Amino acid sequence: MKVIDKVINWARLKSPWILHFNTGACNACDIEIIAALTPRFDIERFGIQLKATPRHADVLVCSGPVTRQIRDRLIRIYEQMPQPKFVIAVGTCATSGGVFDGCYNVLGGIDQAIPVNAYIPGCPASPQAIIDGVVKLLQSLEDSMK
Amino acid sequence: MIAALFNILIFPGFLFLSILGLVAEFVDRKLYARLQNRVGPPFFQPLADFLKLLGKEEVVPEEADMRMFNLSPVFALAATVVAYLYIPLWGTKALFYFDGDLIVVLYLLMIPTLTFFLGGWYSRSLFSTIGAVRSITQLFAYEIPLFISLLAPAILANSWSLSAITAYYAAHPWFWLFNLLGFGVALIALLGKLERVPFDIPEAETEIVAGSFTEYSGRLLAYFRMAIDIEVIVGASLLAAVFLPFFLMANPVLGFLFYLIKIFLIIALLALARTVFARLRIDQMIEFCWKYVAPVAFLQVLINLILKGSILR
Ligand code: SF4
Repeated sequence: MKVIDKVINWARLKSPWILHFNTGACNACDIEIIAALTPRFDIERFGIQLKATPRHADVLVCSGPVTRQIRDRLIRIYEQMPQPKFVIAVGTCATSGGVFDGCYNVLGGIDQAIPVNAYIPGCPASPQAIIDGVVKLLQSLEDSMK
Repeated sequence: MIAALFNILIFPGFLFLSILGLVAEFVDRKLYARLQNRVGPPFFQPLADFLKLLGKEEVVPEEADMRMFNLSPVFALAATVVAYLYIPLWGTKALFYFDGDLIVVLYLLMIPTLTFFLGGWYSRSLFSTIGAVRSITQLFAYEIPLFISLLAPAILANSWSLSAITAYYAAHPWFWLFNLLGFGVALIALLGKLERVPFDIPEAETEIVAGSFTEYSGRLLAYFRMAIDIEVIVGASLLAAVFLPFFLMANPVLGFLFYLIKIFLIIALLALARTVFARLRIDQMIEFCWKYVAPVAFLQVLINLILKGSILR
């Protein structure tokens, strides 16, 4: 059993498929996430692939503060992902609410709605920072498995 | 009994084919990356993807038909593996052969597409239903040219058996040059069958999420992906056996090497098409297949009939 678990864990670390979801960002963070997916940065080197459906994804990459309207949708998408799943909050808004904090229609960061595994601050977070964040998340998962 | 089990499970059955399929996926993705001036995935990437999916939770939508949803991937996998048994690899003889196995192989290769349809249809999700209908629509566009282009060499060889066709072309070394048109048609049809760019309309992730596979997750998705990988190998081997029947050595090692070169040449051509073209619309694809590809396939039949009636009599 031990060996099988090890193999599966290795596979998980080597092939994180991501799903990108905008929870109310000003769109700059989304553009940076898209930029991180372009051939220039080539994140397929780490096995990262952008998937379009929550069923295929392992990592939910959220950008922007959680608005009251998107909260239920965000939770539904999170629930649609099969276990084990991880969440990354990209941008200052996603980590804390950022400039939108205190707005009547904003709940705050992503962690107000769903559990978050990694925070990547920046307004907007640069592609390098996003890739670094994903790699650090994988690293921390690897360490926690030991 | 033991020999049959060995054939089905290990060689040239499931194990051998999965390894070859994973290698083919890697070659395809790496070539694609290199052609885009990227580094591309590491060599273990397809294996890691497969194992990860095996270890993931399986979600079956509440509205989906449990039985069809679960059975479709298994059928896809089984059909492709069985088709491989009838295709001659490096000799002129397949493991099993009888008169008419060409037709059986073609029909077996059709089953994965049907399972994509059924799996998508019974997921009862909007995206997968659209994907399912698109894949069955596309089937009607590429299947006929594929059949006709593969039957043309069979006419010349005077047999419906893949092994006999290969043996005929091995005995007449330069005759494969007559079938080059058909080879082109078959390559285009194979692109459609494997739902590759420019014919990845059923999966079009920018429009309909992931087509038939939208609701699939975990183990079932892994089976589907493996079935597609194996389908690549089987399709490439089929084309190699019919259209590139040279270097069929008696020596298994050399013969195997040339077999690998041939199928990876075809896989490289598919990867090249993926890089160069963009996705067509479904109506453009069908128009293209019926207006241009099918007539060329018929022309190939005509050429072979004339050759058979005149020069080669
Ligand atoms: S962090 Fe800055 S760039 Fe990103 S969504 Fe918020 S305001 Fe926009």
